[in-house]
Parts: sequence; structure tokens; C-alpha cells
Amino acid sequence: MTATDVLTGRPTQAAPVLGSRPGLGAALRWETRKLRAQLRTKALLIGAVLVPIAVVVIVHSQPRPPKDTLFGRFATDNGFAMALLVLGFAAQWVLPLLTSIVAGDIFASEDQHGTWKTVLTRSTSRSTLFWGKSLVSIGFALLALLVLAAATIAASVLIVGHQPLTGLSGQTIQPQSAVTLVVASWACMALPMIGFTCLAILFSVWSRNVAVGIAAPVVIGLVMQLVGALGGIESLRPYLLTTPFEAWHGLLAEPRFTGPLLDGVITSAGWSVVCLVAAYLVLRRRDITGG
Amino acid sequence: MDDQLAVDAVDVVKAFGSIRAVDEITIKVAPGEVYGVLGPNGAGKTTFLRMLLGLIRPDSGTVRVFGRTWAHDGIATLDGVAGFIESPAFYPYLTGRQNLEGLGLLDGGARSGRLDEILEVVDLAGRADDRVRGYSYGMRQRLGVAASLIREPRLLVLDEPANGLDPAGIRDMRALVKRLADSGLTVLLSSHHMDEVEEICDNVTIMRRGEVAFHGAIAELRAQAPDPGYALATTDDARALAVAGRLPAVTATRAPDSGLTVTGPEDAVSSYVADLVRDGIRLRAFTPTRTPLEQLFFMLTDTGVRNEEVA
Ligand SMILES: Nc1ncnc2c1ncn2[C@@H]1O[C@H](COP(=O)(O)OP(=O)(O)OP(=O)(O)O)[C@@H](O)[C@H]1O
Ligand SMILES: [Mg+2]
Repeated sequence: MTATDVLTGRPTQAAPVLGSRPGLGAALRWETRKLRAQLRTKALLIGAVLVPIAVVVIVHSQPRPPKDTLFGRFATDNGFAMALLVLGFAAQWVLPLLTSIVAGDIFASEDQHGTWKTVLTRSTSRSTLFWGKSLVSIGFALLALLVLAAATIAASVLIVGHQPLTGLSGQTIQPQSAVTLVVASWACMALPMIGFTCLAILFSVWSRNVAVGIAAPVVIGLVMQLVGALGGIESLRPYLLTTPFEAWHGLLAEPRFTGPLLDGVITSAGWSVVCLVAAYLVLRRRDITGG
Repeated sequence: MDDQLAVDAVDVVKAFGSIRAVDEITIKVAPGEVYGVLGPNGAGKTTFLRMLLGLIRPDSGTVRVFGRTWAHDGIATLDGVAGFIESPAFYPYLTGRQNLEGLGLLDGGARSGRLDEILEVVDLAGRADDRVRGYSYGMRQRLGVAASLIREPRLLVLDEPANGLDPAGIRDMRALVKRLADSGLTVLLSSHHMDEVEEICDNVTIMRRGEVAFHGAIAELRAQAPDPGYALATTDDARALAVAGRLPAVTATRAPDSGLTVTGPEDAVSSYVADLVRDGIRLRAFTPTRTPLEQLFFMLTDTGVRNEEVA
């Protein structure tokens, strides 16, 4: 054998110290690569483009508008109203589902494939892997929201038109400010969507089961909506993670009110932090015995 | 630095509920050594290796790897360490190469060109761009070795690397481990095959139900080994048994199904066989049952009977 070994490619007695320790960047790159290699990621993003276009086309072709939903009355002849109608619908379960398909899977799939032992015996710590996975999930949630919003707004405006919009207080909103308000309303979904992402992360870590990680946040979202719709529990409403999904209503009233938006920021941030910290602690303490 | 132990585990304990999977185990592996941890199913080998790699935490005791501990050094404990636990697992939707590249990322980046060299070494170069989903068991096992080698380790931890492989696969895997060991790598290997450990290792710890049953050099183990045993079938087993009665150095008993089991020093058994032939008893079968070391292993781990039935 020479000083440098053929098989191991290094001086066999070299000190076992790494030159550069991989950081969060490496974990982010790795998780992104895996996500990109999965069919479901592409399917979700393509769906986020095609489904809203189909919905807009179908609603637009109805002889009578869906009167009993918010902005439904104007949706067939006003593109902005159409985009807001789709937003109201998406907030019910589409957004939680969109994010949990990735976030609910990203930890539990390591259990499913038995790969925890594979990744945890490299040079990246559990914590770094945790934050890498979490940030990639959040990144995906925002990307999916962006794609869904862009497709919905573009399809609505192009197919239905950009007539002046009638606001929630009956006021007329000129197209220029209507565009801004519609975009802002969709943007308001970002924080509660991050909240649902973190909830899915928690279930993914805790249950170690992909199906639970994906389904539980959606079911919890539906239950919260049901609870929120019940009378007599007004004190509970601000704490529900589904309440921030409705905070955009204030933007379309006259005068505008942003109280629910601020509350929504706090609620979403609270849920996100609690879920992430809990998930982090569970993963940190866990014995990796499977796989 | 080089006189520092590669592995220095002292009084390590890990219990799962009421089962003490690892019960005050002490194992020391010097750099450059090839060390075997041997034991039957459930002895606690995997549990010990998991603690070494930081996958589970010991209840008590300390595990040092090149002088580092998980409590103090965190993931840096694994610098210069690689290996796999049970069968290696990969992402089925990625190709073999993509899996290795990704794991290389988590190592801080693999040297360019290194990947191809290693794929060549483990004989996967031709299939590297196929998805792991379609890999055979043996290919996955070899990919596991490749994933370990890209870390350019000084200590290689292998948990039953030949498990589940066909005879050719076992032979190749052993040859590979030997080559790695010859190159100066420290190897810590678990196995439930005495012959594997005997062939590859310098030192061995035999575990039984979480405890140490034997600890020392293979040479010491050989010295303790009992006489070899043979399975014998003759034209007249009753008379053959009587012949054995005349030879004090040879013990013959009726085997559970048919034939005889004979133990004794090689010379004595040879003369016994000669006696049989002289007495007109013809041999229909004469096969070594297990090597003396295997025999010792079963004696030490208390599972002789059960394993005999299985075998
Ligand atoms: N996660 C767990 N929960 C409960 N018991 C466990 C767990 N992991 C291991 N054990 C128990 O600990 C003991 C040692 O198991 P371990 O897997 O370490 O044995 P082993 O020597 O590797 O066996 P094998 O040769 O079958 O791989 C067994 O009794 C096993 O049932
Ligand atoms: Mg095992």
C-alpha cells in the first residue's frame, strides 16, 4: 500500500477532522433536490396552475353565479370577484392540503424508507437536518401559494375581465386598486399557510406516518372551521389557525379594517412557533431504532 | 493522536422497557484493528452500534469515538467514521448516484471523481444511474458500502454486512472488508457467523443477551475451543457406538434424527474411523458438523440446541 490508499483515497493515518462542516445550506440543497426528484411535487405545482384555470372556466360558464358565497354574486362578470371567490374556497381546505402533502411527508418519509439512519450518520446534525426540512417545506408552501394565486388571478382577469369591483360595503373599487387588493388578499394566506405547514411538520415528526402527516392538518383545519362557525365561542375564534384565512375581508370593506390581519399574524406565528419547537424537541430526543 | 482508541465504550447500558438490550458492555478498539462483535439474534449488537453512531442514547456509560463523545462533540463525533446499521436504506426514487451525491452533500461535499472510483470498487458503476427502487438486495448492500466509503473513513462500522447475501455475495463482501482492513482502516464489524469473524477479525467480543460472554483475541478463542464434531452415518450404528466405547478420547452419541455425532481430537477420531473399517462397519457419511470455534460460540451464547435444530 502506498501512503494514500487506493480504496479510501486518503492517507490512512490522517486525523479524522473535517475541513469544512456542512451547514444549513447543504441540508437545504439536499432536501430541495429530493423534493424536485419526486413526481408529487411536480404534480402539485402543475395542479396549482391547471385547477384554478379550470375552476374559473367552469364558474364563468355557469348561467347563474354562486350567489351564496362571498363575491360569488359578481364572479361571473367580474374577474376580481372571481379571484376572491376562488380564494375563499381555497382557504377552506385546499391550502392546508397543498402544504401538508409536502410538509406532512418530509419527516415521516424518512421513517417510511428507513433512511433516518442513513442521513443521521453523515456530518450534518439532527438540528440542521430539522431546520433544512422545515425551511424547504415552508419554501414549498409559499411557492405553491404563489403559483396558485398567480394562476387564479391571471385566469380570472383574462377570462372574466377587469371591471370595477364592488367591495364588501357596496363601494366601487377601480381596477387599479382592485388588483392590489386581490393580490394583497392572496398574500394574507401566506402566514396561516406557514402555520399549517408547521402543524404538518409536527404530525410528520410525531406520528412517523406519512398518511397521518398529510391528513391530520387538513382534518384539523376543517374542524377548526366548523368550531369557528359555531355561535357562542367568540373567545376561541382568534386562536384558531383558520381564522387568519378570513382576515383579508377587512381589506375589501369601506372603511378598511386591519385588526383581524394583525391578530392573524400573531395567531399564525404562535401556531408556527409552538408546532416547530414541539417537533424539534420530539426529533432531538428520539431514539432512531427503526429501519 | 494515533494511540487514541478508535472506539472506547465503557459500561454502556441501554434498556428498552424491561429488556436490557445492552448491559454494561465495555469494548475498546485500537486504530487499525479489525474488531468483531459476535452474538446470536437479539444479543444487542445492533443496539450497541446504534449508540456508537449516535442514533440512540445510552442510558448510562460512555461511548468515545477517537476520543470524542456525543454529549460533548455532537455530530463531530462521527468525523472519520462511516458505516451502516442493519441493511442500508436509500431513497428509492433517486438513482444510486443521486443518493451518493446527496449524502456527499451532507458530508460537506465529496471529492470530484471520487464517486466514480467508489462505484467501481463496489461494482455498481454500470447501474449507478438506475433508481434504487429497482436494486436487488445485494446491490443495496454494496451501495451502503459505497455510501460509507465516500466519507473516506478511518473507522468503518458494519452491522452484519453479509446478512441476506447469496454465497457469492458473502464471499465478495468478505473480500471487500478484508481489503479495506488491509488498507489500514479500523473496522468494527458485527456478525452472527463465527467463521466470518474468524476470517476477518483480530479481536472479538461475543455478546449474549446484552452481556459480554467472551472478550479477547481470536487466537485466545481458538485455544478455548472444544474438540471438533462430526456427523457419522454407518451401516451399523449400534456397533459403531460400541466401538466408540473402547476409545476414551472419542465421544459418540446418537444424533436426534439418525446417525451418530462424534466428538474428539482429530487424531482420535481418525483412529476411530479406522477401527470401524477394520470391524467391517462401512461409513455412509462423515461430515464435520461445525468448526470448533462455532461449537464454542454456541456454548458461550447458550443457544447450541436451538441453533442445531435450525441448522
Ligand atoms: N426499539 C426497540 N424496542 C424494544 N426492544 C428493542 C428495540 N430494539 C432492540 N430491542 C431489543 O433489544 C435486544 C437486542 O436487539 P438488537 O437488535 O440489538 O440485537 P442484535 O444482536 O442486533 O440481533 P440480530 O442478530 O437479530 O440483528 C432484543 O431483545 C430486541 O428485541
Ligand atoms: Mg442486529
